Amino acid sequence: MTALPVTSAPPTLPNDPKTAPTLRQQWRRIRRSYLFKVIVQGLVTIWAVTTLTFFMIRQMPGNPFQVRIDDLMTRQSLTYEEAYRAAATIFNFDPDRPALLQYADYVGDLLQGDMGMSITRSGTTVSSLILRYLPWTLFCIGLALVISFTLGIVLGLAIGYWRGTWFDNLVTTLASIISGIPDYIIALLIILVFGVQLGWFQIGQSRGGVDPTITPALSVAYIASILQYSFLPILIYVLSSVGSWILAMKNSTLSTLGEDYIAVAQARGLSQNRILSAYIGRNAMLPLITRLAISVGFIIGGSVIIEEMFQYPGLGRNLYIAISTRDYTMMQGIFLVITAAVVLSNIVADLALGWLDPRVRLDKGDEL
Amino acid sequence: MIGFATIATPIGLLIGLVCGLVPLAAGVYYKQIPVGVIGVIACVISGFACGFLGGVPMILLTYGVVLSYAYVNRQDPFTSRAALIDVTFEESRVEQFQRSMANLGNSIRGAWRALTRNKAGFLGFLGLTFFLVVMVFGPLFIKYDGQAHMERRVPGAFAMVAAPSAEFPLGLDWKGRDVLSHMVHGGQTLIITSIQAGIFATVIAVVLGSLAGLVGGVADQIISTIANFILTIPAFPLLIVLAALVDLDSGFLLAVLFGVLNWPTLMRAVRAQVLSLRERDYVQAAVALDLGLWHIIAREVFPNMVSYIAVNLIFTIRIAMYSVVGLVFLGLVPLKEPDWAIMIFTGRQQGVLFLPQAAGMLLSPIVAIALFQLSLVLFARSLEEIFNPRLRAGV
Repeated sequence: MTALPVTSAPPTLPNDPKTAPTLRQQWRRIRRSYLFKVIVQGLVTIWAVTTLTFFMIRQMPGNPFQVRIDDLMTRQSLTYEEAYRAAATIFNFDPDRPALLQYADYVGDLLQGDMGMSITRSGTTVSSLILRYLPWTLFCIGLALVISFTLGIVLGLAIGYWRGTWFDNLVTTLASIISGIPDYIIALLIILVFGVQLGWFQIGQSRGGVDPTITPALSVAYIASILQYSFLPILIYVLSSVGSWILAMKNSTLSTLGEDYIAVAQARGLSQNRILSAYIGRNAMLPLITRLAISVGFIIGGSVIIEEMFQYPGLGRNLYIAISTRDYTMMQGIFLVITAAVVLSNIVADLALGWLDPRVRLDKGDEL
Repeated sequence: MIGFATIATPIGLLIGLVCGLVPLAAGVYYKQIPVGVIGVIACVISGFACGFLGGVPMILLTYGVVLSYAYVNRQDPFTSRAALIDVTFEESRVEQFQRSMANLGNSIRGAWRALTRNKAGFLGFLGLTFFLVVMVFGPLFIKYDGQAHMERRVPGAFAMVAAPSAEFPLGLDWKGRDVLSHMVHGGQTLIITSIQAGIFATVIAVVLGSLAGLVGGVADQIISTIANFILTIPAFPLLIVLAALVDLDSGFLLAVLFGVLNWPTLMRAVRAQVLSLRERDYVQAAVALDLGLWHIIAREVFPNMVSYIAVNLIFTIRIAMYSVVGLVFLGLVPLKEPDWAIMIFTGRQQGVLFLPQAAGMLLSPIVAIALFQLSLVLFARSLEEIFNPRLRAGV
């Protein structure tokens, strides 16, 4: 996904500070501004995704309501009508209502910040569930992203600068090999080779997010347990993503090296460290910052397969559970959160580039 | 991947042999016998593998290569070996045909040189060839072992799975079946589905991208909006939902579904490229000369994008395989055995993941998928050089 082109003027700068703009002029300026356009587009996208998922998931075979009615009828030996009414009170919605009206209710609730109740886990709101699982994914994938991004920047810069050496060849080969293997294949390989065959760690013990026998507290033991349980997922995320960061940074470094200001800096006799960090590194990082901001949006959802594999209590695994148990509201909630994160991170990526790179900003000013 | 009907049958072999006569005859006629023999071998293999669909195109290719060694280009007195006196610019139909065939042969030889020059890319090519050969010819030698074998149960053993032995080089699976036979027979569906999915996504992307770039206006806006929209939704969870929605009973449907969801990234790139190519001088010149839309697309615009599209196709196939194996791994697609992904799925489901002796059963499909993906990535590098003459000259 590429950043949207930055086209028009920053919204806040008044053309002439002496005459105070009227309300109407201000509104026009806001309406024409790039930020406004992007935000409106983002809101429309979120609305469209919400609508699509709402109607799409109701077409999936298997109705959670019917499942619950059958369950109530067999377990509590109720008649169909009784079970039906009981289920209706549990779920807090009437399944016979037309889908369009249900949709209107849902959007109305959503606008008030209410994502509804989970269908399969009765008595809990979707927002509380999301808030419970989101930190796990954010911690695990966020840490992995920071590690792989930093590693990728440093290694990519090094092999780009000292290109053609044996180190460059080694790292480039390893990076392209490892970036070519799917993450769950890496996970299975690690489990099978190091866990089962060599017996370096107990796989059965690293399932879940934290040792359930330790009481949650801000203690050393609890944090150590969290780190221990998230070690393998983080390692796998890092391994599966670091290769592409390295290769991207290498390419970016190579194209930066051809710039005139590098030659000038070298001619001025600046130290190698200063050229590497301030001249090459900073400029070569710019396109990667955009990519980083965009990938932050996508990590919110986590990796469904990896989280499911390690039974990690993140958003990805719960999305999978919600899909397979047909928990309509939970699915909608998670899709909504992920979509909002992606839209937001795209906007941030766009603005961050303009903020970091004065050249882009100047272009903006020219068009004013 | 159609045309596998005659795959590895005597009829296919016969087709290959008959097709091989053409390059052989050409080789003898032009005194280029070694090349002719190579042409025969190529024809026999591809005819054996794909029947008419492999044999007939191979006739053209091998004939072109044989001809390119012997052909003297009378149209071009400066580079040809013909004496200037012999040059006639009059050309009969046959000579015209021969010239175009020789050009084809030359470009094939150029592509082959580009392929072998890049070591990593050639390694990838060899890897892919290995998988295709095993997929097509493996079933000739190794019969599919689909029945449970209770008689192979070791007395007192906890499970049927067994480590590799002399009789079964990759061990036995959870029903006591030969893992090697599953490996040989289990790649076809997965690889074909992934390739189909990659082709679908690429075709949709190229068509819509060119449309958006060339037509512009409302069509451009509609296509771009849909693309943005699809890009925002996380692809894999959406695929899970849709996989439940559509009653997936074949790999083909899955490939279509994947194609529908995975075109936007390439579409954007194609659109941008078409927009920038449209403004180039040589395209403008072609427009000014009124060479026709078809000529402009086929001769001026498309050759400049084909390298990018080919590389992207490879990467899309990779992502498709990732998604297909992932869906099967989660148990969401009821594909039939034998299949590599199902081997992993049942291994996990039957709880043999933690048994040391199940390594043969589990590691084989995992390593195979990893190697196939790796070969794709490496091959993509060579492909870039083959289709991009500028890169080739630069090396």
